[in-house]
Amino acid sequence: MPITTTRRRLLAGSAAALALPAFARAQGAIKPRLTAISQWSAGSDGAAITALGKKFEEKGGVWQHSPVPGFTTEMMNKLRAQIMAGDPPACSQLKGPEIAAWSKIAPTVDLDAVVAAAGYEKVVAPDLAKLHKPGGKWIALPLQIYSTNMLFLSKRAMDKAKADKIPVTWAEFNDLAEKMKAGGVPYPIANGGTRADDGQKFEAALAGISPTAYRAAIMNLDKKALEGPEIKAAFVQVRKIADWMDPNVGAQHFSTNLKRFVDGDMGMMIMGGWAQGVLRNAGFKFEDFIIAPGPSDNSKPVFLLNADAFIFWQRKEPDLQAGQTLMAQLVMDPAIQTMYSQITGSIPVRTDVDLSGEGWSDGQRRTAAALKDAIASNQAVLSLAHNMAQENGMTAAIIDVITEYVKNKTIKPEQAAIRLADAVESSR
Amino acid sequence: MTIAVSTTPGQPAAADWVRRLPEYLAIWVPLLLSAAHLIAFTLWTIWISFTPSTLVPVSGWVGLRNYSSVAASRNWQIALDNLLLFGSAFVLLSLATGLILAILLDQRIRGENLLRSIFLYPLAVSFVVTGTVWSWLLNPGLGIQKLVRDLGWTSFRFDWLIDRDMAIWTIVIAAIWQSSGFAMALFLAGLRSVDADLIKAAQIDGAGPIRMYRRVILPTLWPITITVIVIQLQFAISTFDLVRALTNGGPGIATQLPALVVYDLMFQRSLLGRGAAAAVLMLLILLAVLLPYAAWRYVQRRRAIDA
Repeated sequence: MPITTTRRRLLAGSAAALALPAFARAQGAIKPRLTAISQWSAGSDGAAITALGKKFEEKGGVWQHSPVPGFTTEMMNKLRAQIMAGDPPACSQLKGPEIAAWSKIAPTVDLDAVVAAAGYEKVVAPDLAKLHKPGGKWIALPLQIYSTNMLFLSKRAMDKAKADKIPVTWAEFNDLAEKMKAGGVPYPIANGGTRADDGQKFEAALAGISPTAYRAAIMNLDKKALEGPEIKAAFVQVRKIADWMDPNVGAQHFSTNLKRFVDGDMGMMIMGGWAQGVLRNAGFKFEDFIIAPGPSDNSKPVFLLNADAFIFWQRKEPDLQAGQTLMAQLVMDPAIQTMYSQITGSIPVRTDVDLSGEGWSDGQRRTAAALKDAIASNQAVLSLAHNMAQENGMTAAIIDVITEYVKNKTIKPEQAAIRLADAVESSR
Repeated sequence: MTIAVSTTPGQPAAADWVRRLPEYLAIWVPLLLSAAHLIAFTLWTIWISFTPSTLVPVSGWVGLRNYSSVAASRNWQIALDNLLLFGSAFVLLSLATGLILAILLDQRIRGENLLRSIFLYPLAVSFVVTGTVWSWLLNPGLGIQKLVRDLGWTSFRFDWLIDRDMAIWTIVIAAIWQSSGFAMALFLAGLRSVDADLIKAAQIDGAGPIRMYRRVILPTLWPITITVIVIQLQFAISTFDLVRALTNGGPGIATQLPALVVYDLMFQRSLLGRGAAAAVLMLLILLAVLLPYAAWRYVQRRRAIDA
């Protein structure tokens, strides 16, 4: 543990904080306190944030975390209620364009000084930084990164298919799925039945076919791109995937079927890196599965970026303000990011963290390498299914079309493409 | 000699009133508070439905824009179709099941109390639990289909849960399981309160059991039937937790219901204005059921008074 680095960073952070009168009052004899809400209560997510809280307490703070279990929306309802009651938490989980949207309804903390003191801006992917400083100032801090299109391969299913090569393009992926099917894997694609799950299949397909088209159509909602041939091709690929999935999963969460995936009844899973944390937490071993970047037709990794973050809400209480500064410093700390990511299976936000050491999995190293490559080749894009590319309203409208298409095999790809363009048009 | 305690001559009537004050307070204060809440929140929701509110309520006026966009959305159209189908199927079937169960139980059989508890028991189970349990039972890979196939009938198919045309029927099944016991209890009470003289007179006239039920007993159950229909209908319109646990609106968006759409708009999509508009539309549907019922009750009462 590089404790010295942490201490030095903390000192630098406090020095910067002293420059601000608001923070100056907060320092001194006051015990930093942080009220935080997040959706992370159980499993690897719960373990990671608990560990973060311990670190906060070690630094002399009072950690008051209120988890709201369930989906992000449930957490947001609590946040909304607290903001409307004039009692926002000192910091809450929030991510993507929602940071910009929510920052308009209540005052947020200007984190520029703390971020500058930590030299954080240089080590964060530019697209990601943009999301966290919507008005030009840092008001939120990314905590960890996932790619939503990682490809998980079941070792036992690979054995059944007598295959050992990790597929890189969609064509290779489709070949392998066929081989698995022929080799006795009943469902070559592992899946859940939730909307996000269906959305992930589509975004992986489209971004894998053309990251440029993905950026134009999904991130920029460009009309021409939405009517372009890549969208139809993506729907064609999604239909193939849907045909290999187990239709019986109903509305189940993907994690319900992880055992079948490990056992080789399901072959490949397109899922975010968090599945690694969930798999490990469920007692499965790294020998059971392989993690690789999702299929990309130009063979260069495509990274569908999903980053969890904390937004900081303005509070007048000096102890809460001190707590916010301490929390911001902790979140940016490489040692803390390392600890956090090692528990959840994500990769650190800081691109300067070395993942070669112990405690990191091959999957995480591959993910980090994929991010680097994807940024270099401009193939790092923001995830739609996990609310990074669009605000909730638009995301939901698009995913309606996708999830209906996945579950209803009488809808033709051309029809789906038209419906997608219509849904975007009517939600603008 | 007896002394009347409460109406001793000479004591003012006010004392009586003061003594009963706690009773009045206990009844009227909560009643007024809840009425105020109900009315205030209804008015508030109606107001929100005309504003451009998204993440949080804001003032402003957008006219009927929220309503037209809800009405035009595919989710809402599917939800309305489903409500029509689910509402009528659920009400009619639970009515029929409840009535049959009540008639069977009414035959003075042994263990009636036990059976009655068993049939009523599902009502004590929350809809979330009902939905979850039925989602396992109806899941083709885990539940009934797998059981029958494992028993040897390998071509057996019961995959409604994942069939987008049939999925709405799985909700009907679970809802009937949940609430036909309730209909049964009401019908049973009605059957038991039928005038014994009436039945005897019919028996003397030589009516068989079927004829007796059809001509004598069932007609007296009419008011109870109306009550059951109204209660079940308002339940059907506001169904939320059952669908959320059972199919969550899926497969795809095939089992959307209005309450799910409201929740989705308000909290998933953060479109408070549109969500409120959908909620007001739901209220209108509910009124379409309740107002005729209120009118019917009014006519009934007038007739009773006139008679």
